[in-house]
Amino acid sequence: MTELPVQDPAPVEAEKQTFLTALTALPRNFWDSWFRHPLPDSDLGASQTSFTNFFLHIHPVKVHKNTLRPLYTMGLGVMSFVTFVVLTVTGILLMFYYVPSTTQAYDRMLDLRGSVAFGTFLRNLHRWSAHAMVAIVFLHMTRVFLTGSYKRPREFNWIIGCLLFLLTLFGSFTGYLLPWDQLAFWAITVGTSIAGYAPLIGQKIQFLLLGDQAVGQEALLRFYVLHVVVLPVLITLLVAIHFWRIRKDGGLSRPAESELPSGKTLRVEIVPGAPSSKTTFGLMGFVRGPLTKVGNVPDNSVYSWPNLLVAELFVFVVTVAALLLVSLLFNAPLEEPVNILHPPNPAKAPWYFLGLQELVSYSAFWGGVGIPGLEVLLLMLVPYIDRKVSGVGKWFAKERFLANTLFITFALLNVIFIIIGTFFRGPNWNLVSPF
Amino acid sequence: MKPRATYGQPSRYSIGRPDDFPSGTRISIDQRRVCVVREGSKLAVISTICTHLGCTVGISDTGFACPCHGSRYDQDGTVVGGPAPKALAWYQVVMAPNGELEVDTNIPVKQGTYYEL
Repeated sequence: MTELPVQDPAPVEAEKQTFLTALTALPRNFWDSWFRHPLPDSDLGASQTSFTNFFLHIHPVKVHKNTLRPLYTMGLGVMSFVTFVVLTVTGILLMFYYVPSTTQAYDRMLDLRGSVAFGTFLRNLHRWSAHAMVAIVFLHMTRVFLTGSYKRPREFNWIIGCLLFLLTLFGSFTGYLLPWDQLAFWAITVGTSIAGYAPLIGQKIQFLLLGDQAVGQEALLRFYVLHVVVLPVLITLLVAIHFWRIRKDGGLSRPAESELPSGKTLRVEIVPGAPSSKTTFGLMGFVRGPLTKVGNVPDNSVYSWPNLLVAELFVFVVTVAALLLVSLLFNAPLEEPVNILHPPNPAKAPWYFLGLQELVSYSAFWGGVGIPGLEVLLLMLVPYIDRKVSGVGKWFAKERFLANTLFITFALLNVIFIIIGTFFRGPNWNLVSPF
Repeated sequence: MKPRATYGQPSRYSIGRPDDFPSGTRISIDQRRVCVVREGSKLAVISTICTHLGCTVGISDTGFACPCHGSRYDQDGTVVGGPAPKALAWYQVVMAPNGELEVDTNIPVKQGTYYEL
């Protein structure tokens, strides 16, 4: 056996280090270990920063320019995520003060107002962020639909997105009960009754949700557990899958390269020859998909760090600023405590279910089950029905006229019904003028 | 997830003695969300939970009316207007050994089924 030259593992300079030099170099060493790469001044630096940072590593090193066009995505996906983060943070803070008990919940709401520092503001922020999330997630879905981004290979991620939308609705709905005021109690009574209209399983679902025949302590506890544990965990998991799929599906949807203004041309070559000891091969060498290109390829990509980061930071700041502003200006409603004997007239479900409630007032089955069920089914199946890949990556593409028109019609009808239910329905569900 | 027993109101409960409900009266028991109807020696208990979306209906001149979405029912609980999909439920009434009337909301009976005192 040949003797290999043993290399001293520690460089000679290291031996000279004394406690004193370590002490004087401490700030520097500390800084260097946290900020391992300086602000990128080269492509290599930009790549390395993305590679070696856990939080940046979720991004690809380079993204397509089209991804960063503000008018293409409108930042709605990031905005949805930001509202979810704000909801998580404010939700955890609210949990320090809240008790899911029919005798205490309402008092705790009053405590938030009266004896918790910034309690009203905290509750406002949580409430308005919840409403915002429902609206923004829907707008995000609208963007994805109208640009045809649900098409192959993104069908799976579209389904994940649909599930996230449903979970968002359910999360908001379960939170609605927690203040235990008249608004909460009757909205949930009405809302769960709509669920009871589903054939065969409706009554069972209603009973499982409420844990009782009517809204009471059991329902409050169940809604609380769903709201603070089950749904956030599910949403977090699906959001992770949602983000991961974006990269696996080749980044955000965009028009075909030939339809884009030509950028730089990049020469990509695979150097033939046996792997040498000087080269390491990562698994990324085997990734399939639209990003592995060889030859003279048009290159419209830019480095994620800092381009994508700045864009995301911008959306984050704007979203949080808007939520803060709304929460400073408007207080979340809190009505009288629950009084089972005196339902408000009219009793209304949360606004995003008012379209359904309006439909239920015409036909119980169609409004409560038929139409929403069909809508959800159609939404989930649309990537499997609409298989043409033309018109992807453009707003209102001519090729997608039929699909887009159908979607806009459905969306507008829902919005109209919600507006009627919210503003034009008075006592006894009679038509009233809001003016 | 499905509780075998609920902490809410029991489905079987006493509503008092027959004498508490004079003939010809319709007395609403708000806490129980039922209405006791007595006509001569006949007595029945009708649910006051609106079949539309679960609000509590009130007793009106012509029967029952829901304040939430305007469903109207006649004296027997049959729908005469509004969005309610079906009639108000009638519950079984029996006489307990101690002479009090007992209602079981788990046992619905056909509309028009009176308990003979």
